[in-house]
Amino acid sequence: MGSRYDAIVIGGGHNGLVNAAYLARAGKKVLVLERRHVLGGAAVTEEVFPGFKFSVCSYVVSLLRPEIIRELDLPRHGLEILPLDGTFTPMPNGDHLWRVNDHGKTVRELRRHSKLDAEAYEEFGQAMVQMCRFVKPILSMTPPDPTSLDPRGLMKLLFLGRRFQALSGQDKYNQVQLMTMSAIDFLDQWFETDVLKATMSASGIIGTFLGVRSPGTAYVLLHHYMGEIDGAFRSWGFARGGTGAISNAIADAAREAGVEIRTRSPIARILVKGGKATGVALQNGDELYADVLSSSVDPNNTFLKMIEAGNLPDEFLEEVRRYKFRGSSGKVNLALEALPDFKCLPGPGAHLRGAISISPSVEYMERAYDDAKYGQFSRRPYIDMVIPSLTDPSVAPPGKHVLSCFVQYAPYKLKEGPQDWDRQKEAFGDTVIDTIAEYAPNIKSIIRHRQVVTPLDLEREWGLSEGNIFQGELSLEQLFFLRPVPGWAQYRTPVKNLYMCGSATHPGGGIMGANGRIAALEILKDWAKGAI
Amino acid sequence: MATPRDVVIIGGGHNGLVTAFYLARAGRKPLVLERRPVVGGAAITDDLHPGFKCSTLAPLAGPLRADVARDLRLERHGLQVVTPEARAFAPAPDGRALVLYGDPGRTAQGIAAFSRKDAEKYPEFHRALGRIASVLADLESLIPPSVDAPSGGDLWGLLKAGRKFRALGKKDMFRLLRWGPMAVADLVAEWFETELLRGTLAGRGIFGSFLGPWSAGTGAALLLRAAAEGGDAAGGVTFVRGGMGALTQAMASAARQAGAEIRTGAEVARVGVKDGAATGVVLASGEEIPARAVISNADPRRTLLTLVDPVHLQPDFRTKLQHYRSVGYVAKVNLALSGLPSFTALKETGGARGAGALAGRIHIGPEIDYLERAFDDAKYGDFSKRPYLDATIPSLSDPSLAPSGQHVMSICAQFAPFRLKTGDWSGRREELGDTVVKTLAAYAPDLPGRILKRQVITPRDLEDTYALTGGHIYHGELALDQLFTMRPLLGWARYATPVKGLYLCGSGTHPGVGVTGASGANAAREILKTLR
Repeated sequence: MGSRYDAIVIGGGHNGLVNAAYLARAGKKVLVLERRHVLGGAAVTEEVFPGFKFSVCSYVVSLLRPEIIRELDLPRHGLEILPLDGTFTPMPNGDHLWRVNDHGKTVRELRRHSKLDAEAYEEFGQAMVQMCRFVKPILSMTPPDPTSLDPRGLMKLLFLGRRFQALSGQDKYNQVQLMTMSAIDFLDQWFETDVLKATMSASGIIGTFLGVRSPGTAYVLLHHYMGEIDGAFRSWGFARGGTGAISNAIADAAREAGVEIRTRSPIARILVKGGKATGVALQNGDELYADVLSSSVDPNNTFLKMIEAGNLPDEFLEEVRRYKFRGSSGKVNLALEALPDFKCLPGPGAHLRGAISISPSVEYMERAYDDAKYGQFSRRPYIDMVIPSLTDPSVAPPGKHVLSCFVQYAPYKLKEGPQDWDRQKEAFGDTVIDTIAEYAPNIKSIIRHRQVVTPLDLEREWGLSEGNIFQGELSLEQLFFLRPVPGWAQYRTPVKNLYMCGSATHPGGGIMGANGRIAALEILKDWAKGAI
Repeated sequence: MATPRDVVIIGGGHNGLVTAFYLARAGRKPLVLERRPVVGGAAITDDLHPGFKCSTLAPLAGPLRADVARDLRLERHGLQVVTPEARAFAPAPDGRALVLYGDPGRTAQGIAAFSRKDAEKYPEFHRALGRIASVLADLESLIPPSVDAPSGGDLWGLLKAGRKFRALGKKDMFRLLRWGPMAVADLVAEWFETELLRGTLAGRGIFGSFLGPWSAGTGAALLLRAAAEGGDAAGGVTFVRGGMGALTQAMASAARQAGAEIRTGAEVARVGVKDGAATGVVLASGEEIPARAVISNADPRRTLLTLVDPVHLQPDFRTKLQHYRSVGYVAKVNLALSGLPSFTALKETGGARGAGALAGRIHIGPEIDYLERAFDDAKYGDFSKRPYLDATIPSLSDPSLAPSGQHVMSICAQFAPFRLKTGDWSGRREELGDTVVKTLAAYAPDLPGRILKRQVITPRDLEDTYALTGGHIYHGELALDQLFTMRPLLGWARYATPVKGLYLCGSGTHPGVGVTGASGANAAREILKTLR
């Protein structure tokens, strides 16, 4: 005989925790079950090497919804976001591009590269803010079902249509372009400086298996532009104590609301009886029962691994199998004795405090993608580096530093098969170091420890199928009312009382928490209707 | 000063002729001005070699939209079309080949030699594509609605399309929504496991575009093409007896009979504009032809950026049009052959099948990766080392094109960038010809020995000789951001332009796919509403 809960949340990632917190605040008795020894899922801080704390997976934050910060009172629970100022792109010719939050400075810097671009930058920023304003409410909305005649769904579509109509002609034009174009085609219209376009386009491909010239990548560019901290658009930051501190703050808020959280509690399967989810069986044999199950793990894990065959319609399973993960990135985390020294801008300085982007040209980005298309990691990858220890000394021993490198492309499906990642892992790490060394030659001599995280590691250790950091590609056919699968974008599933609340649902990945929150609101709605 | 003409149509391409016909039928007095010595634009027949006639550019009719064919009664003007039973012949490097027929059952039999599973799925794919294509075909004949202030008629049209969409049923509705933004490589992989079949079907998603099969949105191109061709999974093949020139000659004859006047050798140098309204045209010879309305069959950029003085347009509009993407990547190679080339793949399966199998399109692009690599080369500014080829041997269906026992072969080669990174087309034209012949020779080794005459037409030639700005065969990319209400620009998709009395009717307007007459017919319908 096990215990009984109102709701059990599968997975203690940031979305699972947000989901649990909102359910508990509505008076429900909630249990969160996390497979690993730490909470946070991919939003986690781990002391990988003594004294060096890494945001092992997700490393910057900007998308966390302000309503969640407010409603869960996260600052009181220890959340503190430190600003990440600017993006520095070293170039092979000894030049660099350094954009910072100070608009005037950035414009002066751009003028060095192109007067026209300096002028366009201002206008571009304003246009993007307009686009973000338009898209923002969509992030907090349950997607309507366009194939149903449900009046509420139709109202939502009408609402979107009206909002679109209310945009100015120029904004409409920008908006449809953003939704349909490639990042490069879009940026080509604004800018001429190659390194600027390359660096900006990079945010359009993160977490997708697309190149910067593929239509649909302009939208992801916006997704990343949406970052807001304290209401300011386009600012990214670190959480003090690493990304895991965000999860810990949410967990703290959840516990305060009465949520029980268990780590080291891997689930063997979801119990289904008569088409209804009734509880979970843990791998240790325990069975726990609840009225509602809310899964924050991805659809592959939820529906193909945790539910016994026969409990789901074939057509649904077919759609789930079709859902694309295709992880395309890896991480290299370095414990450093000293700071990297860039040839093009030697010595320490503010340029090391922001993001450092290895994206010297559009062609570079494209060639990085070409390697991946044919099943190998990029010989010269796109790398997004940050040194959080410069802003938050608590994550490294005094005088030492941590360097976190997000690397794309690292395709899960290698030509030799995903399992070959274990063999290619160190070669991948070497490639990343070699690439950095072309711009900062001292890197090799200052590395004390190195951790390489491959897509296969992300799958095995963090439960992200095929190593996709967003629990499924952010491609147009997997967004909004098509996420994760057509007809099931409203957080419900074909199994009664089983819900989805992870990044595989609308509005997708990144540390947003929106998924967990909207799912909780939907669950509570069903509860109020007596449907549970 | 001469009395103003009623309507002047710039360009006697197939759409210009269709527009002329409909205007004349409605009692207007259109004058068509064609700069070349013959009408037809890109739908023409020339003598390739003594005794050999060839459709110099477009090899196949769209086919014509049914209502256009009916209204123009082209068979009375001598039009004869031939549709061979074999639609596509796709040889693979291993000596095997796939033949797609009009009859899906027969196609499936052939597929069974590769995969039983695929053979079972093909008829279902064929039917699903057909259903979805028929909804899109309705959209193709719709005047794109006004985005800012949709009229009653607009809403009615959309409602009708919406009802047809709903009648598809949930499964097909979601298919339509998902397939559009997908990469065609993903789309075909969802259905089939045979690489050769995947490559053959995916070809139709990238034809004419600067996109590889892994680019998102190529699914939409496949659907649009299917919609224009009647929804056949094997693709439509409509030859015109006497070559494509016979089609446009028949159209010219129909237009004249309806009351249109056609002048060849009359190049328009500019469109006269006064007080924001078109006043007529000025020919290159200096002759002025005043007119109450001017309709341009030329592409949007040529019409509005070259023929109209910049002072008459808002800078913002011009900028947007400059960003309208119309850089072409298709080259044409025409061959006069002393005999039918022997394809290795056909020898093995018996010669009797030979000629029959070759009667449709010959698809060289045996794998998705092959097609993608062809695209890769072009991304970096070179033509494909191993190009994707879409060839036909029209003389198999129409012996009048070549002396007995001899043949003409018409090859569309992709990707050949308008602008080469190294060298220019005048110096590298024959190198492209050699590459195309060598590529074909890998499948038909005796081909090089049978060539009596070779003609290579690069995208540069398409601009220089045929006035297709940027050398784009469709007057602009058929990409998600340049379709329907966005073709050519959002807010200007209803055949009108910012210059009062100046209209567009060419492929750069909705729907713009192939030689279907759809753009011309839609334009005429809309223009007749506003002309007084």
